[in-house]
Amino acid sequence: MLQPINVSLESLNLITLAPMLVAIAGGLIILVLDLINSKLHKTLYVMLTLLILFIDFGAVLGLNVNERGFFDVMLIDGVSIISQLMIIVASMLFIPLSLTSKRFHEYSYPEFFALFLFMIAGFQFMVTSDNLILIFVGLETASLALYTLIALHNRSNSFEAAVKYFTMGALSAGFYAMGSAVIYGLTGSIELYKVAAVLSLRMDEASIMIAIFGASVLLLTAFAFKLSLFPFHTWAPDVYEGASAPLAGYMSVVPKVAAFVVSIRIFGMYIDLGIEWVRIIILVLAVGTMTLANIMALVQEDVKRMLAYSSISHAGFIMAALALDTTEGTTAIFLYYALFMFTNLGAFAMLWISRHKVRRFSDRYDNPYEKFAGLINIMPMGAVIMALFMLSLAGVPPFSVFWGKIYVMQAAVNSGYVWLAIVMGLNSAIAAYYYLKLIVFMFLKEPVKSVDTVYYNLSKPLMAVIGLATVATIGAIFYIQPLISYIYYMISASGY
Amino acid sequence: MIGLTHYLVVSALIFSIGLIGVLRRRNLLMLFFATEVMLNAVNIAFAAISHFYNDLTGQMFAFFIIAIAASEVAVGLGILIVLYKRYGSLDLDELESMKG
Repeated sequence: MLQPINVSLESLNLITLAPMLVAIAGGLIILVLDLINSKLHKTLYVMLTLLILFIDFGAVLGLNVNERGFFDVMLIDGVSIISQLMIIVASMLFIPLSLTSKRFHEYSYPEFFALFLFMIAGFQFMVTSDNLILIFVGLETASLALYTLIALHNRSNSFEAAVKYFTMGALSAGFYAMGSAVIYGLTGSIELYKVAAVLSLRMDEASIMIAIFGASVLLLTAFAFKLSLFPFHTWAPDVYEGASAPLAGYMSVVPKVAAFVVSIRIFGMYIDLGIEWVRIIILVLAVGTMTLANIMALVQEDVKRMLAYSSISHAGFIMAALALDTTEGTTAIFLYYALFMFTNLGAFAMLWISRHKVRRFSDRYDNPYEKFAGLINIMPMGAVIMALFMLSLAGVPPFSVFWGKIYVMQAAVNSGYVWLAIVMGLNSAIAAYYYLKLIVFMFLKEPVKSVDTVYYNLSKPLMAVIGLATVATIGAIFYIQPLISYIYYMISASGY
Repeated sequence: MIGLTHYLVVSALIFSIGLIGVLRRRNLLMLFFATEVMLNAVNIAFAAISHFYNDLTGQMFAFFIIAIAASEVAVGLGILIVLYKRYGSLDLDELESMKG
């Protein structure tokens, strides 16, 4: 005779689920609104999405650090709170970019906004759990929604991009599942804290290293696909080129933040157990990623592809901070992304406002360098702002990404990896070349054709977003210290 | 007597077959099938390990993988249909326009 199962509501600690429930409920509300009246203007949906994101933000701020909930599956620690805040802020910057002056296919569907909110819920689930099942479900929810968002752009390039991303995503899902199966086989558990406990007891067994090697290689491959690390980065430039510019900028930040949180949980655990070669593999991947992506970015003819390679190279920087596995290194990951987010979204938004329906400068590319030639004569303000973003990405002080770079290097030196800091410095020097190339085109060259206006797509909301990104880029020196101490406090509170 | 090892070997073999399929196939539909084969190989491993430990967690994971595989097929086939309507082909070599 089976006993009925009694679960008290208090033990579930449902408040830990509140942020995701807000996002999911918001998505459903948008779908229902569309059912009731299908003639609503997209502005309403944009504002509704912003409102839901604000509530979501508040719900995350209301969480207590270091709590578990829902049968101990949810884990609210400092890392998860910071990453959720970053995901929501990036989404709030992204969503007003749909209020362009020209009409675009994807934003006429309310499903776009519903899928967007479901995607955010997926990312939030991914970062607030140390249960391999929930991480997998969150990862796939978010990824499947993201493939659809890319394909909605309704250009032939976008379908190709969606298919490429989908194939890579499906492959990495297979690797992730197999890696979790190996971990489950080794330890009989899929909760990472139990896995760590069992593994630390079994560390001196003879053949366990081979099994741990298998599991970590499979998981590392899965996350290398998601983070576009060196041998698995080939999809990223194509997908960024095919996706719409704001979505490309979004993809270079939010999915990577979520994947980095999971990597910190999994590979941080391995490094803490004293498995030194995991650290070596990660370092090799990181150095390979930043160097090769930099060299590839040098030869690109298209600004969007150049930015894609540059964001791959920045991911390499951050991966190196992951290998350090110190509190400072983990702080560096979030600090870097918090600063990089504004600058990179701003740069992609600048591409978005110069988007044309037809390719006017090249048969192959949307944003070749020639398009920006002599921009200072046509649109001085735009050229100066774009140049600011480029200088910031190149790591010129006192703009925002400089502080991220210097903090990563400092963390590397403090944990005894002086050579790593030198490699990073050299890479920043190489990277400066292709960022400056765009500035040279904008300021020193003559316009190629008689261009009526490059800023075809400009509107007030876009100006607001770009203005915000500019302020965050220039004013970094004023908020960097409180930001570092907040992130450091949250991360040391959760024990990383 | 068939033990855990046999199941794990079968699972690893099927996973490799799926992986080779992903790397070798040029037809997108076949490529998607290959990724499904990989996920199903993992299901075998989970079910076997779960039985070995007398613990239901593994079987639960297998059910989640089945659900995720199904939703992946739904989204993937949707994208493939749009692609086929536009190009009339699902061959990777013919479709590729972005390189470099």
